[in-house]
Amino acid sequence: MNRRSRLFAGIFLILVSCYLLLPFLMTLVYSLFSEWTDILPHGFTLRNYGNLFSDPEFWSSIARTLVLCAVSVLLTITVLLLAMYVIIAVNRNLRGFMQIVCMIPYALQGVILSISIISIYSGTGTFLSNRLLMLFGAYTILVLPYIYQGICNSLNAISSETLLEAAQVLGCGKFRAYLQVIIPNILSGVFISALLAESIVFGDFVLANNIAGNNYQNIQVFLNRRMFKSSGLASAIVVVIFAVVLLITGMVLKLQKPQTGRENG
Amino acid sequence: MTEFLAFLPFLVIVVCYELLPLCQLAVSSFTEKTSGKPGFENYIKIFTTPLYQQSIVNSVRISLISAAVGLVVAFFAADLCHEAKEGTRRRFTMLLNMMSNFSGVPLAFAFMVLMGNTGVLTLLGKKAGIPFLANFNLYSGNGLVLVYIYFQIPLATLLLLPSFSGLRPEWREAAVILKADPLDYWLRIAIPNLLPGILGTLSVLFANALAAFATAYAIVMNNYALLALQITSKYKGDVEIDKATGGALAMVLIGLMVLATAVNDCFTKKSTQGRRLV
Repeated sequence: MNRRSRLFAGIFLILVSCYLLLPFLMTLVYSLFSEWTDILPHGFTLRNYGNLFSDPEFWSSIARTLVLCAVSVLLTITVLLLAMYVIIAVNRNLRGFMQIVCMIPYALQGVILSISIISIYSGTGTFLSNRLLMLFGAYTILVLPYIYQGICNSLNAISSETLLEAAQVLGCGKFRAYLQVIIPNILSGVFISALLAESIVFGDFVLANNIAGNNYQNIQVFLNRRMFKSSGLASAIVVVIFAVVLLITGMVLKLQKPQTGRENG
Repeated sequence: MTEFLAFLPFLVIVVCYELLPLCQLAVSSFTEKTSGKPGFENYIKIFTTPLYQQSIVNSVRISLISAAVGLVVAFFAADLCHEAKEGTRRRFTMLLNMMSNFSGVPLAFAFMVLMGNTGVLTLLGKKAGIPFLANFNLYSGNGLVLVYIYFQIPLATLLLLPSFSGLRPEWREAAVILKADPLDYWLRIAIPNLLPGILGTLSVLFANALAAFATAYAIVMNNYALLALQITSKYKGDVEIDKATGGALAMVLIGLMVLATAVNDCFTKKSTQGRRLV
C-alpha cells in the first residue's frame, strides 16, 4: 500500500473505532457528572456510584446473577463431560445427535428458547412450573453450544482416543482413565469456554426477563427497571456491567493467546 | 450397557428444556385456540391481522437494512484491517471483540443517553441546527435500525476477517502483472472468492437481528410492532398465556431464520461448485 491509501485506511479504522466506542464513553462520562444539559457536562461527581453501591437491590441482583452464572455453567460442564465419555469411549454414533442438539440453541437464541420453556411448563402445577427451575434449565441450554465447542476442540487437540487406549493398555479402567487422564488434560480449554459462557449468562436479559421477571431479578433486569427512574444510576450500572464483561473477555483473550501461538508455530 | 448411564443427565436436560419445548411450540401453533383441534387457524390469524403482518414486515425490514449496512461498513473495515500493519490489526480486532459485547439493555441505554429525547447529540443537534440529530426519534423503527447497525458492525467485521485472510497476496500480484486494473481484481478475483464468507455473514447478521430482543424491548417496550416483541408479549404473566398465537408467531420467526440459513447454504454450494470448475 502506498502512503496515501495507508493514511486513508488509518483514518477509516479510527473513525469506525470512535463510532464503536462513542456510546459507551458517553455513558461513562454521563455517569460521572451531575448534569449534562448543555454541550459539555458539568459537576463532576461519584454520587451515582455511591448510590448504586449502597443500594441493597443492586447487590442482591449481582448475587443472583453470580448464582445463575455458576450453577448453569457448572451443570452444563458436568453433564457434557459425562455425555462426552459415552461418545469417545463407548459409542461414537451418538456424536451426530449430540452435535445437532448442542448447536440448536445457538441458532434459536433467547426469545424462542424462553417462550418455548414457558409454553410447556408454566401453569402445569407441577414442580416443573417453578420459575427458578425453568430459568436454570434455560440457562443450561443457552450455554450448551459454547461449552460443547470448547470441550470438542480440547478433546481433538489432545488426541483423546490414543490417550484412552494407552491408559487401558496400562491396565486402567476406561472411566477411570477418562476421569484421571483425559479430563485433567482438557480442563484449561474447558475453562476458557466456561468463561465465555459466563459472559453470555452475565449479559443475558431475555431469559431472565421472560422466565423469571420480578421473581428472580438479575442485573440486566435490574438495569431495565432502573433505567426510567434514574438515568444517573442506570449509567453507573451500565458501566459496572460492561466493566465486568470486559474483565471476563479480557481473561478469555489472554488465555487463548498462547494456544493460538502454538497452532501457528 | 451401564456406561450409557453417563449419557442420561445430558439427555434428560436436553429433552426437558430444548427438544420437548420446541415440539410443544410447533404442536400448539397448529392447535386451534377455541376448539383445540389441529388446524391452520393460528397461521391464518397472524397473516390476516394487521398488527402481526406489520410485525413480520418490520422485523424483516429492520433485519435486512441493519445487516446490509453493517456488512458494507464491515467489508471496508475488514479489508483495511487485513491490509494494515500487524499492530494495528491486533488492536482493531481487540476493540471489535470488546465492543461486540456491548449489547442488549446497556447498549439501548447508551443510545438513549446519546440520541434520546434529551440525549447529548440531540441537544447538540438543536444547538447547532442539525435537523437530523435534533429531530431524530430513537423510539421508532428508524431508531431501532440505527442501534441494530451498531451491534452488527463489530460482529460482521469479526466474521468477515477470516475470509479476507484467505485472499492470497500472489493473486493480486498476478493480476497486476497481467495488467488487470484494481476494479477487475476486486470484481473478478477478490469478491468471488469472498462471496461465501460475505453471504454467510449476511445470513448470520440477518438471523441475529431477527432474534434480537433485549435492545428492542428496552427502547420501544411493546409500543412497536416487531416479531420478537409480539411473541414474548403472548407469554407474559402467569394467568393468560396465548400459546396458539404465540406458537404460530414463533414458528414464523424460526421459519425466517431457517430460510436465511438455507439461502446462504444454497449460495455457498453454488459458489464452491463454480470455483471447482475453474
